[in-house]
Amino acid sequence: MQFNEILKKIIHTGVGRGRFWMASIGLGIAMLLILVALQVHTNFNELLYGSRNQNERADYLVVNKKITNDMMGKPELTVFKPEELKDIAAQPFVEDFSIITAAQYNVRLEADQLGFSTLAFFESVPDSFIDVQSTDWKWQEGQQIVPIIVPRDFTNMFNFGFALGNNMPQFSEETIKTLSPGIVVSQGMRTGRFLGRIVGFSDRISTVLVPQSFMDWANNIYSTGAAKAPSRIIVKTKDPSSTVLTNYLEEHKYVTDEEKTKYSKIRGIVQIIVSAVGFFGLVLLMFALLVFSMFIQLVIESYRNEIRLLITLGASPGQLQRYLLKQFIPMYLVTGVVAFVAITGLQWWASGLLAKRNMFVSEWPGIMSLVATVAILALVYAVNWFAVRKHIAEHT
Amino acid sequence: MQIQLSAVVPVPLRERILQRQSDIWNRDVTFQPGQFIKIKAPSGTGKTTLVHYLYHIRYDYTGSISVDGKPWQDYNRDQLSAIRQRQVSVVFQDLRLFDQLSALENIELKRVMDPQPYYPQEKTLEFAERLGVTHVLKQSGATLSYGERQRIAIIRALMQPFEWLMMDEPFSHLDDANADKAARLIAEECHARKAGFILTDLDHDQRFDYTVSYLL
Repeated sequence: MQFNEILKKIIHTGVGRGRFWMASIGLGIAMLLILVALQVHTNFNELLYGSRNQNERADYLVVNKKITNDMMGKPELTVFKPEELKDIAAQPFVEDFSIITAAQYNVRLEADQLGFSTLAFFESVPDSFIDVQSTDWKWQEGQQIVPIIVPRDFTNMFNFGFALGNNMPQFSEETIKTLSPGIVVSQGMRTGRFLGRIVGFSDRISTVLVPQSFMDWANNIYSTGAAKAPSRIIVKTKDPSSTVLTNYLEEHKYVTDEEKTKYSKIRGIVQIIVSAVGFFGLVLLMFALLVFSMFIQLVIESYRNEIRLLITLGASPGQLQRYLLKQFIPMYLVTGVVAFVAITGLQWWASGLLAKRNMFVSEWPGIMSLVATVAILALVYAVNWFAVRKHIAEHT
Repeated sequence: MQIQLSAVVPVPLRERILQRQSDIWNRDVTFQPGQFIKIKAPSGTGKTTLVHYLYHIRYDYTGSISVDGKPWQDYNRDQLSAIRQRQVSVVFQDLRLFDQLSALENIELKRVMDPQPYYPQEKTLEFAERLGVTHVLKQSGATLSYGERQRIAIIRALMQPFEWLMMDEPFSHLDDANADKAARLIAEECHARKAGFILTDLDHDQRFDYTVSYLL
């Protein structure tokens, strides 16, 4: 007969077993909550940064300073100072950035076919920031035809707003591309005439773009002399929903297309929910630990006479501790394994669900979840060990 | 293992003890290894108290009790349990069996407390046979008569290695024939271990070849 078998007949850990079960269920739920929080966090990161979920291109944000009432009439306040540009370039979320060069000359568009002419403006950015692919997008000195990219919003405004309201015909993009409005570039007495050719429509940059080479040449020829500081920049970023980015913009009173950064809000909310779930899990874990400790105290208290006699007869405190822990530990292990299996199942299910929406996360729980499971079990073991030791010591 | 008493006086019995002569209380006494020691003690002189002091489960005394030159208080709990498993065994006057265990389990508990038992289980059966308690081995401790319980407690004490066996009125519930059987077994087991014992009782007796007798 083994010593522990005989002990089993003396110290029944069945006392308050109901409480022990409740605490175990509590422990299981706590572990599940903590693991879910960790897993959601891991998955979210994987969705945002994982190579499988990388969008085909990075996102581009056009950033400018917010014009407030105080700044009206003071255009020098809306430009970026060199040190501000340097600071932006140094931000971690900035993968690449460029100033948007504004024209330092007057522009007039004349569309003879349509019988209208209008004042206009040009801006330019380096080609790598442009979302329109066109072989015509080039200009060199002496070339009469200047390629132009207009925002798609312009054609939509014209077709669906202006044309319909004024009984004018709507134009397809193909038709618009065939137009060749005259361009008159002027500064004081100097004037240059060109032919415009709309080569594409941009969803990215809401301005009328000409090639950088044309802009540099024209600014050189037709400028008033002093170079104009940039008031708009374009930023290439991998993660427009980064809260770091939105916080930075907000802090410096910069504005950009909020549609592109709106996910940062969702992300903030998800982070808060995940933190709340994790926090709740931790609180529950603490309560479970408390109940375990009380359960152990109850068992040891109800058998204090037996424990005293065992110690008197020569049983070592260590022997009794090991026996008592052996009665509880398997339950914790089972709870831990069940929680981990549950999270594995959930993860597998979630990954299948997300895959249907072209979002890819691992089918397996992350290493963090495994580490957390082991850590929680170690914590539970340690707390139990201390409780058993403390309460046995009271009777020796 | 040498046990030294130095001016030991139980606090609760202080007045009474200081009024009368005692060979033990308030004296310096040394129990040498292997001695068979009889302590004769009239009622109320602190016989059970002494055994509890010697076994170190009561501490309300002045003076000191040293084991191998070290006061009992200097042994930690783990050392104490090691001593109680290997060096000192005990038969309490109130026997202290577990009611929820059978007689056999009560003995086994002590035998297997040490992961390397001193005796195989057959010894239990052999001793039970010699003391005439084989028929009660399966019975619960609660249903045994005092005499049976006393013999079970003696067998339990003999299941472990020891250098000292402390016995507090071990034959009080036994008739002479059974007491003699038990005494013979105890003497044999002590000789086999080269161990000594300290036995307290109310009267004189000739059951053992005592090395020394004290009056408490």
